[in-house]
Amino acid sequence: MTEHREPIIVVEDLVVRYGDRTVLEGISFEVQQGEVFVILGGSGSGKTTLLRALVGLKQPASGRILIRGEDFTAMSDEQRIELRKNIGMCFQGSALLKSLSLADNVALPLREHTKLEESTIDIMTKIKLELVGLGGFEDYLPSELSGGMKKRAGIARAMAMDPEFIFYDEPSAGLDPIVAAGIDQLIRKMQSTFKLTSVVVTHEMESVKLIADRVCMMERGRVVGIGTLDDLELSEHPYIRQFFARRADDDESSESAYAKALTGLQ
Amino acid sequence: MTHLRVAGHVGRWTLNQLAAGARVSVLMVETMAWMVVAPMRGKGLRIKSAVESFVEFGVRSLPIVGMICFLVGVIIALQSSHTLDKWGANRFIATLVAVSALREMAPLMSAVIITGRSGSAITAEIGTMKVGEEIDALEVMGLNPVKYLVVPKFLAMLVAVPCVTVIAMFIMIFGGFFAAVFIVGVDPFVYIDETTRSLVEKDLVNGLVKSIFFGIAICWVGVYRGLQVEGGAEGVGKKTTSSVVTSIFLIIVIDLVFTVLFYFL
Repeated sequence: MTEHREPIIVVEDLVVRYGDRTVLEGISFEVQQGEVFVILGGSGSGKTTLLRALVGLKQPASGRILIRGEDFTAMSDEQRIELRKNIGMCFQGSALLKSLSLADNVALPLREHTKLEESTIDIMTKIKLELVGLGGFEDYLPSELSGGMKKRAGIARAMAMDPEFIFYDEPSAGLDPIVAAGIDQLIRKMQSTFKLTSVVVTHEMESVKLIADRVCMMERGRVVGIGTLDDLELSEHPYIRQFFARRADDDESSESAYAKALTGLQ
Repeated sequence: MTHLRVAGHVGRWTLNQLAAGARVSVLMVETMAWMVVAPMRGKGLRIKSAVESFVEFGVRSLPIVGMICFLVGVIIALQSSHTLDKWGANRFIATLVAVSALREMAPLMSAVIITGRSGSAITAEIGTMKVGEEIDALEVMGLNPVKYLVVPKFLAMLVAVPCVTVIAMFIMIFGGFFAAVFIVGVDPFVYIDETTRSLVEKDLVNGLVKSIFFGIAICWVGVYRGLQVEGGAEGVGKKTTSSVVTSIFLIIVIDLVFTVLFYFL
């Protein structure tokens, strides 16, 4: 279902460093319009850093990020703000402003970026909350919600400006399987209803199976495979095989090293 | 070898301080830009949020500032009476209280209390928002955190500290009056007469100028420490402590600078 589409996000040879430490090295991929593109990887593979670079929260050391053909890394602040109105982001911990009610959280970008009447903003806010299944919770504070509800509210806020792109950081992390499956369905629904281009960072194989059009597999700051889930399942790459088989790191060598470190014995 | 190592440490420390200074300057420039330039280009200020902060920083601190300043007034009066009494010059308690309240104690006490109440609160709030990715969320939504969070607080602080200070001055003088009249036994009319005679405009200006800079210091230290927070609740606690310590230190330094300036002016 992804053929014959224009690449809308192009990442070219991206390098990201924290101080002297290189976290991402030579990352290149393309995201096509309207697909759900999953960035899959273990803890510490740099997938969250990659997402932060994609939305401009982390300045890359080199490389380019082209969004609709424009280089996101070399934009003026004004251009960047314009582009960001077109981007929704769901954070891992939902990152709702704790001092504001749900409705105010969703309304915030509308109030700041548009000159809409308050009554219109009210209606739009209600629609967005309804969309994620949180109708009637307008006046709740984020602290009064469960984890899954916060995630949904985060999605509603990301959708507030009717963006073209939506980025999810670990959408199902820390949720029970039923709630997580609900979030997965919501991601799929958003994508199909609004023709959104979605980029999802996750390490959960279960949700990848449900949502992914294409998957980009990461290991230690590098891309080790890109393709549909079926493509990757056929891959010979040892890390991909290990990840898909849910197999622990080898084995005795590391275990004995651990024991040595603990006891100090040779 | 040890000399080299010491030199290395000093060098690294200096570099770190310079880097911190540079970051604070960037923050200052950005705040000024969003406060002064942006509204002229029709980008608006968050007045409502600034007013809310003003109520929090200023109005709500009045009870405790008033209480403490009254007590400090009493203390100054009694302490000065200790010396003045020997010369039969208790009426000059009024002068001492008035001048030290306006020039020194009222601005200082107000600033220190506001640091403890609100400087720490600013750091904790911004720090918690940083840990919870709320600052990142603002940025991704295309909302500048400086415009959204810092400028309203800065405006509020800029107005609140001098306002509180003026009220504190009066209360401190009243505290001195209370102690001098009811404890030491100075004639109330003599006391009022001495107070009005001893005060000049310059005293008030001195106190107010200081208080404006105290406000700036409290806000910027609070914000800067808040943005430095990393690593969860513990980080918030650490930076909140260091926000209060840094603020009070800066307040004393600013106080000294202006005292020296006004001494020679």
